[in-house]
Amino acid sequence: MKLSFSTKVFAMVLSAGLVAGCSSTGENMEDEAYGSDVQAIGGDDGSTVYGGDDGDGVSSGVLSDEERQAAREQAEQQALRDITTFYFDFDTSEIKQEARDVLVAHARYLADNPRQQVRLEGHADDRGTKEYNLALGERRANAIQRFLIVNGASRGQMETVSYGEEKPAVRGTSDSARAQNRRVELIFQ
Amino acid sequence: MKGHERETISTDTPPWKSPVVLSVALHVLLLVIALAGWSWTNPVQEPEPRSISARLVSPEPKPSPVVDEQDQRDKEEERRLQEEKERQQAEAERKRQQEEARRKEAEEQARKREQERKQQEAKARELAEQQAREKEAARQKAEAEAKERARQKAEQEQRAREEAKRKAEEEQRRREEAERQRQEQQAREEAERKRKEAERRLKEQQLEALAEQARQEREAEARRQQEAAAARAREARMLSDSEKYQALIRDRLTQVWYPPSSATENMVARLQITLLPTGELANVRLVSSSGNTAFDNSALGAARSLNRYPVPDDRDTFERYFRQFTIEFNPQRLR
Amino acid sequence: MTRKTSCHKTTVKMLLTGWLAAMMLSAGNASAELLIRITEGANSAIPVSVVPFAESGAMPPGDKVSSIVQGDLTMSGEFRTLEPSKMLSLPSKGSDVYFRDWRMLGQRYVLVGELTRSGDRVQARYELFDVNQEKRILGETAAAGVGSVRTLAHHISDRIYEAITGEPGVFSTKLAYVTVSGEGDQMRYRLQVSDVDGKRANIRLESREPILSPAWSPDGKKLAYVSFETGKPAIYVHELSSGQRDKVADFPGLNSAPAWSEDGKSLLMTLSRDGNAEIYQMDLASRKTTKLTNHWAIDTEPAWDYANKGIYFTSDRSGGPQIYFMERPGAEPRRITFGSRYNARPRPDNKGEYVYYVHQRDRAFHIARTNLKTGDESIITRTESDESPSVSPNGRLLIYATGQNGASVLTVVSADGGAAYSLPAADGDVREPAWGPITR
Repeated sequence: MKLSFSTKVFAMVLSAGLVAGCSSTGENMEDEAYGSDVQAIGGDDGSTVYGGDDGDGVSSGVLSDEERQAAREQAEQQALRDITTFYFDFDTSEIKQEARDVLVAHARYLADNPRQQVRLEGHADDRGTKEYNLALGERRANAIQRFLIVNGASRGQMETVSYGEEKPAVRGTSDSARAQNRRVELIFQ
Repeated sequence: MKGHERETISTDTPPWKSPVVLSVALHVLLLVIALAGWSWTNPVQEPEPRSISARLVSPEPKPSPVVDEQDQRDKEEERRLQEEKERQQAEAERKRQQEEARRKEAEEQARKREQERKQQEAKARELAEQQAREKEAARQKAEAEAKERARQKAEQEQRAREEAKRKAEEEQRRREEAERQRQEQQAREEAERKRKEAERRLKEQQLEALAEQARQEREAEARRQQEAAAARAREARMLSDSEKYQALIRDRLTQVWYPPSSATENMVARLQITLLPTGELANVRLVSSSGNTAFDNSALGAARSLNRYPVPDDRDTFERYFRQFTIEFNPQRLR
Repeated sequence: MTRKTSCHKTTVKMLLTGWLAAMMLSAGNASAELLIRITEGANSAIPVSVVPFAESGAMPPGDKVSSIVQGDLTMSGEFRTLEPSKMLSLPSKGSDVYFRDWRMLGQRYVLVGELTRSGDRVQARYELFDVNQEKRILGETAAAGVGSVRTLAHHISDRIYEAITGEPGVFSTKLAYVTVSGEGDQMRYRLQVSDVDGKRANIRLESREPILSPAWSPDGKKLAYVSFETGKPAIYVHELSSGQRDKVADFPGLNSAPAWSEDGKSLLMTLSRDGNAEIYQMDLASRKTTKLTNHWAIDTEPAWDYANKGIYFTSDRSGGPQIYFMERPGAEPRRITFGSRYNARPRPDNKGEYVYYVHQRDRAFHIARTNLKTGDESIITRTESDESPSVSPNGRLLIYATGQNGASVLTVVSADGGAAYSLPAADGDVREPAWGPITR
């Protein structure tokens, strides 16, 4: 499907916000950076902020307000669902606040498409022991699974597996590498 | 026999003459002997059986008379006599047989009675014995009771005596106590008097004596201290030397002892070391094992690994402390 | 009081004091012998000389017996061996040993010996001498096939170790571990078994997917491990001599952390088929499982303590992973570690003295141990990203994996953290070491 320029930019900014949040070394994500983006997006009607050409954008005069609104929402949901990796802090399986919207989008999609299967793969970083990390990865995958079920998906659509620390996304022992390894990945089948 | 006997004993028939008396006497004799605990078979003469009034005598066949002229008559007579004789013989035979039978019966009865008598005798003996036992028991019991009473009585008397004695002693003590106190009191008063006197005298002499005493004490003290100091100095020198060298030896051994990794804080090995005045090892002996061979060997190895033990130069100190001493290996503060 | 009486009293006092003083003075030089107490020894390794053995007959190629023995004794951390180049003489039998020479070199023990080749066998005759006591404490012969010279050498090392320390040696034991090499499609995981010095390694399993947690059966004949070859973790029991293996646990969710019972008939394992990671015991003959923990927390990494018959495991029921102990299977667990927010993967020494585990201090992960009698905890490694401790069967050494220059290597330390010895680095990563049992 074709995405408007503003939607692409919006998606990139969202991803950047998530990654920026993950690379912090503290226990808590910095909410402000992300939040401000959300606010900005919610606050205006798109064209003012991103300005410039909208060559393949909407020709503003033709659609009604409702239709524009619905299209925007659908685009937002699709953008959200581009995000399929969720990150965690050290030794916890707590789902971060900012991941919730994304997960809700996924849950709705799964609910709307009951034949869609998805595999949830849980991981941990290399610190600590392998077996404990195996259980931790599973717990993270289960947490995501539960959230999706609560928001509309059905258990039969999902399969969970944990790889512990065995399949890192990024090799290395730096904080940022480790932060990227503490994750659950959604693999749509 | 028994019947006769029974009747003789139980009924009060007046004493008979002779054979019965004899039998009675014999039976009494039996009793006495039975009482005396003897038992013997009694070859009692059989008294005469009542049922037979006379002794059986088998009549001897009379010899046939000589026959003369009156033969025919005599023959008849003889025949008659012979018949008679035969009849009589037969009769006699019959009688004899009868008598025999009766005798046999009598014997039988006599035997039976004898048996009965013996049984009776035995029963009588038993009875007599039992009675005797009972009597004896009763006698003993009476004796025991008597003894017991006597004992109790003696005890009571003893107690009474002791009580009396105690009372007497107490009384005595009281009297003595009173006396003693009186004497003490006297002594105290006497002492008090004397003291007051002595005090007075003392005060007079004190000033003099004080000076004298002080001087003497100072001298004695000085002497004592000198001696003590000299002794201490000697001791201290030896001790400090020995301590110094002990520490040296301890350090050297610590450097060369490799306790095995299995050593625990409970293991203790003791070695007796004999040195030469040069410090060289004369002998090492394990006097107390730790129970662990590897540990013992580590101690022995350490002791033997020193070529020369550090020892003091002063011969006295060496002899006293280092000629022969004990090393104890016991690891503490294992990691 | 009269003057006389006071005089008397003073005299008595003086006499008493004098007498006491005399007693005290004489007590100082009483007839009791001097006693010197030695309460600690050299904290260093025992100097031992392994004299190169004399050889008669053609010896097979490869390391010499005496150099293998030298390596073993050094690895134990308890011995310091003298370089043969420094030896003043090279005796091969007792009558050639001049103890004074070795004393001068500061040696405690000297091992001499001779190897004889006959046919396809090599025979060793060896003697161990205590230099200071000047007596022989071991004198034996042993033989092996020409292809098993290393086995012969390790046997000699065991005998020497036992003679000097009184404890069984572990030089004839095996190690199991996993190596990882290659990238992407070429990535290979290999389960290997080698000698305790890393030599004579044999690959037992090769896979494109991860292999974890090898565990030796108590008789040394089998390995249990976790393999992802089916796409998810499953537990296998692999018989080493035949290569035959059984997949014993493949339930939904986790199948991991196998640990053998002392009789070799059951495995502890972590399963999450009931919804979260719990510890189970599986009877291998019947494959029946019994659930031993029942808590919403993660319960994993069980290990039997053969000494006190209980089970140690990791649980985060108090918020973060800590070591817990069950006195018998299924009993109420008792927490063991308190000094840090991350303590995991317990391994008891099976002597009832210590339990070893991974322990976080600040940002580093070390191996620590807790004294089971006193409760004292101490960190025994100086490296900082340590994992997978495994205790030697005699409780004296510990092997673990640690990061070095971006790769994982195996390191052996003495159980109290003294000497350390890295196993020769292999290609790629070496991880998950498991120390095999003593099998005689």
